[in-house]
Amino acid sequence: MLYSDHHHWLHAWLRKRLGNSFDAADIAHDTFVRILSKGKTALGDEPRALLTHIAKGLVIDHWRRLDVERAYAESVAHLPEAEAPSEEARLIIVEALMRIDAMLKAMPGKTREIFLLSQIEDLPYAAIAERLDISLITVNRHMRKAFIACMMAD
Amino acid sequence: MKSTPAIDPILIGEAADWLMRMDQGALHGAEQLAFERWRSRTPAHAAAWRRAESVMQTIGAVPGELRGNALRGLENTDRRRVLSRLAMLAVATPTAWMLYRELPWRDWSADVRTATGEQKRMTLVDGTELVLNTASAVDIVFSADERRLRLLAGEIMVTTGKDPSPHYRPFIVETSQGTVRALGTRFTMRVEQAQTQVAVLEHAVEIKPLRSDRATRLDAGQAALFNIDGLVGDVRAADAAAGIWERGLFLAQNLPLPDLLAEISRYRRGVLRCDPQLSRLRVSGAFSVTDTDAALRVLERTLPVRINSFTRYWITVDAA
Repeated sequence: MLYSDHHHWLHAWLRKRLGNSFDAADIAHDTFVRILSKGKTALGDEPRALLTHIAKGLVIDHWRRLDVERAYAESVAHLPEAEAPSEEARLIIVEALMRIDAMLKAMPGKTREIFLLSQIEDLPYAAIAERLDISLITVNRHMRKAFIACMMAD
Repeated sequence: MKSTPAIDPILIGEAADWLMRMDQGALHGAEQLAFERWRSRTPAHAAAWRRAESVMQTIGAVPGELRGNALRGLENTDRRRVLSRLAMLAVATPTAWMLYRELPWRDWSADVRTATGEQKRMTLVDGTELVLNTASAVDIVFSADERRLRLLAGEIMVTTGKDPSPHYRPFIVETSQGTVRALGTRFTMRVEQAQTQVAVLEHAVEIKPLRSDRATRLDAGQAALFNIDGLVGDVRAADAAAGIWERGLFLAQNLPLPDLLAEISRYRRGVLRCDPQLSRLRVSGAFSVTDTDAALRVLERTLPVRINSFTRYWITVDAA
């Protein structure tokens, strides 16, 4: 009932936004999985509003994945073929990048900057304090906040 | 991601303290003991620490050098894209399309993408026919002075149209490696691994690698590969089957099986692996790129191979 009542227009709605039927079908499917797995079989008074809300979130994730895949491809492009990660490694790395991206999004700007210096540039906390001209205590406070954000996002 | 059970925020905070401590060097004897005691105090402590470990594993899963480049690449993407996307979700596409139709000479920019396994054909305002092959992305940037496509990923075929603009606007396709300028023409371009491949089917194009002062002209029937610094190898004869993908086909002529599978996997999601033992098998024939399951079935019928699929997204081709 849920599926047959709503699948058709949701697919059409998605196709219009994504411009292709393949991804629209995937995301329509995922939208229903999302709802059914939460045990919500009734959709309330505004079933379309709920479905489009969930679908929008999935569309944004989908676009993000395309961005992540592109960013990945660009960053391995200069590697000699022998050193390029295998297809399996690629899937793992892209998945990890998606999660790191979600973690970074959960941090305020200053915290993110300090976290990136530490975890990406491998700078010790004292060096970060010096580079940004802030106290070590401030670096510690931001790093703690960053790790908490990571754990909450993961 | 949000499905994991909630963990006491106080324990998350304590786990963060330990992460920071370990981030600054290995734990010493007494500290190590204190940590073990903390972690085994209750199952909730252990669960908080597993969450912390999962974070570090996620970060560690991306090799150091890639991590920086990829994340910086993403930040740039954010600046360019987020607003236009939110707008796309808010506004129905037909409206946006009509706006563009009415203001053809204004600067505008659009993303066109295809999913893996999909092809898309469209006619641009100047009458140019653009076909996107699988997993491709193009920005279309037409202005009063030029018609420019940015080929961001994948492969396209361009058949330039007769521009109705009152004055001449060059038609240019740009990749990260350089530009290709159409000289009234039909051609295909593909970007892969920091290289751009061009094959000219009609008339001619002019290639200009980004960091080279030399432009190279390619005529009909010719193909070339270039990177950011210049041509890679010489101008060569275009493959007779160049551009046949536009009709949903791939032609193999005495091609090693792994090469054919690599080509097929461009049109499929997931992993398609080939047993290295099979690299001496050679294949000739026309294969459908729009129904790659069928193509794989043909291989299984005609070659001494077995197709094993664990899931639709994980397939191996082994010796039968």
